[in-house]
Amino acid sequence: MSRATESEDMHEISSESRTQAQFRQRVRTWCEEHIPPDWRAAQTGVSDQEFARFQKAWFAELHSAGYAVPHWPREWGGGMPIAEQIVLYQELAAHDAPRLVLAFVGIHHAASTLLVAGTDEQRRRHLPAILDGEIWVQGFSEPEAGSDLASLRTTARRAGDGYVVNGQKLWASGGMHADWCLLLARTDPDAPKRKGISYFLLDMATPGVEVRPIRNAVGDSHFCEIFLNDVQIPATNLVGAENSGWQVAQATLGAERGMTMLELAERLGNAGFCWLVRACPTDDPLVADRLAQFETEITGLRGLCRQLVESNDAGTAGAADASIVKLYYSELLQRMTDFGAEIGGVAAHTDLVKSASSGWESGSWVLDFIGSWEWTIPGGSSEIQRTIIAERGLGMPREPSVA
Amino acid sequence: MSEMILDLGEDAKEYGRQALRAFEAAGGDQLVQQAEAKPDTRDALVGAVLNELGAWELDARTDADGLEAAAALCRSAGYWALPYPVAERLACPVDLDVDGLIVVADNQQAGAIGGLELRWAAVTSDGVRSDVVGRGVSGPAFVTALKLSETDRNGAGDVALGLVLPCWTLLGMLDRAVELTIAHITLRKQFGQPLSAFQGVQFQLTDAEVERSGLEILAKYALWSAGAGKPEALEDALALRMSAIEAAEVVFRVCHQLHGAVGFCDETTLSWLSRYSQPIRRLPLGLSATRDLLTRRVGRDGLTGLYA
Repeated sequence: MSRATESEDMHEISSESRTQAQFRQRVRTWCEEHIPPDWRAAQTGVSDQEFARFQKAWFAELHSAGYAVPHWPREWGGGMPIAEQIVLYQELAAHDAPRLVLAFVGIHHAASTLLVAGTDEQRRRHLPAILDGEIWVQGFSEPEAGSDLASLRTTARRAGDGYVVNGQKLWASGGMHADWCLLLARTDPDAPKRKGISYFLLDMATPGVEVRPIRNAVGDSHFCEIFLNDVQIPATNLVGAENSGWQVAQATLGAERGMTMLELAERLGNAGFCWLVRACPTDDPLVADRLAQFETEITGLRGLCRQLVESNDAGTAGAADASIVKLYYSELLQRMTDFGAEIGGVAAHTDLVKSASSGWESGSWVLDFIGSWEWTIPGGSSEIQRTIIAERGLGMPREPSVA
Repeated sequence: MSEMILDLGEDAKEYGRQALRAFEAAGGDQLVQQAEAKPDTRDALVGAVLNELGAWELDARTDADGLEAAAALCRSAGYWALPYPVAERLACPVDLDVDGLIVVADNQQAGAIGGLELRWAAVTSDGVRSDVVGRGVSGPAFVTALKLSETDRNGAGDVALGLVLPCWTLLGMLDRAVELTIAHITLRKQFGQPLSAFQGVQFQLTDAEVERSGLEILAKYALWSAGAGKPEALEDALALRMSAIEAAEVVFRVCHQLHGAVGFCDETTLSWLSRYSQPIRRLPLGLSATRDLLTRRVGRDGLTGLYA
C-alpha cells in the first residue's frame, strides 16, 4: 500500500483545523499499531467460522479505540464530530483496514431504527448488545417482493400478547451468523399494501426460524433464505406502531448512506485504485488513459460523498442526493472491477478465493466484478435509483403504472 | 472471387435447429451441470449426440456447405452451453493428424479441453503450430494449461476459422441469454406489472439485442471471409472476435442486471451460461489484446469490409 507522500500530508493537514490534524495523526498511529499487517493473506480462503471470529475480533478492537460506532449519539458510545468521522474513514481506508461486514446491519441499520423509532427499553436491550458483538440481519426482501418491497407477503397475526409470523425472506446477507433480524411483515392484509406492514425485532433463536444459505456464482453463501414457520414474536418487539412499519423502514433505510458510502469511496480510491495501478501495464498509453479516467471519476465520487455527509449533517441534503451517490459508486465499481478483470487476464480468472473482510474491491478482479452486481441490484436497484433521481431530484412525473 | 454470403443457407439453418432439439433431448441445460460435477464425463455426456448429428463428418475447411453447417452447430452448442469444444474440433486443420485446433496466445497457452482424451494441435496468430503434449489440471469451466511442442510454421491459414467458430458458440450463448431474460421479465412482476412493461427495462434489453444482432451479421461475414480464404480473413476474424467480446459484455451485463440477484445463483440457467461464456471471451485473447492485435495488423489501412 502506497502511503500519502509528505507533500500530500502537508496539503491535507494545512486545510484542516489543528484538532483534526491531531486526530488524523492519532488515527494513523492507531492504524499502524492495530491493523494486522498480514490479515489479507491470513483471511484468504478461510471458513465461515474463522471469518466470523475475525470480524468479531476486529469489531472489538475498533470498539475499544472508540472507532466502531462514531456515528452513534454520545450517550450510546458515539458522538464523534462529522469532520473527525471523515478523517477516521479516510485513514482506515488508507491503511487498508479490514471492513466491518458482519456488524454492518447492526451498527447502521438496526441502530438507526432503534434510535429513530425504538422504545427506550428496546434501545437499552440492543444498543449495548450490538457493541458487545450482537449480529443483525435484514429480513426485508421476499421471492415476490424485491424492488417492490411493499408487496411483501410474510404475515404477522396478532395472537394473545404477541404475533405469530409465517413466510419467507430472501437475500438476507450474513443470515447464518445473525442473532437478531429486522423483520417486515404484513399485519393487516386488507389495508393498502404500504399501510398494513409492521416492523419487528426477531430473535433468530426463536423456534420456527430456519436459515438456509444460497450458494452464489462466486461460490460463497453469504446470502440466505429465512423460512418463518409459526414464529412467535412478543408485542414488545414491535418497532413503532402496528401497521406503520413502512414509514419506519423509509425513515431508517437510507439513514446511514452518507458515511458508509464515504468509507467505500475512500476504499475504492485507496486500496482499489492502488491495486488496479499495480496490476496494469502503465506504460501502455491506452491503459494509462483508462486509469486517468478512473482516477477522475473516483475523485468525483469522493467529493460527492463528502458533500453528502456534510449536507446530511446540515440538514440540507437533496431528496435524490443519496441515490446519485449509490448509482455513481455502483456503476463505477462495476466498470473498475471489469477493467481489473480485463487487465488481470486469464490469471485473474483462476483466482477462486478472495480475502474475506476486504472491501468490494479485493484485487481478485473477476470475483470482485461478479460481486459488484450486489451494488447495482440490491438496496434499491440502479433502475429504482434512476427513478428516484428523475422523480425526486429532477421533479419529473411519476412512472404511470407504479402503484 | 466468390460472391459474398451474409446468411446461412436453409440446410445449415435446418441443421442448426435439429442440433438444438437433439441437445435438448440429450439433457439440455443438465449437460453442463453434470459435466461440471465430473469433467471426465464430458465425452460420455455429449459424444453420442454429436456423432448422431454427424458433427465430425462436416468438412468446415474445404466445403462451403460444411462450413455453414459447422457454424450453425456451434451456435446451437452455445445455446445449451454444451460442455464440449465443438468449435475447436470443427476447426481441425486438414493436413494434421489431430482431433482439433486451439488458437493460443504467445504468452498464455490454455484451452477449455479439461477432462477429454483427444489429440490437439495449437496455433498462434502468426501461424506457429504445435502439438499439445501435456496439460495441467482441469480448472473452472474446463480450462487447462497446455504444454506445447512446436511442429511447424505453416498454420497461418488455420487461424481465422479457429477464431471465428468459437464466436459462433458465443453467439448461441447470447441468443439464449436474451431469450431467458425476455422470459424472466415477462414473468416477473413488481409494482403490479411485469418488469417488461417498464420502458427503462425494455430499453436496456433493446440495447443488448442491438449488440447481439450486430454480432450475428459480423459472424456471418467473417465466416464467409474465412471460408473463401480471403487474404484479410484473419483481420475479419479478429474484428469479429472483438465485437463478440464487446457484445457479450453488454448482453450479459444487461441480462444479469434484469435477472436480479437470482441470476447469480445456479438455480438459473443464466448463471451457468454466463460462467461458461468466460473461456470463450478470455481465450486466446481478451478484449484489449484482441483490439491490440487487430490494430497492429490493420495499421492505417482499415478493414476491407463489405463494400470493397
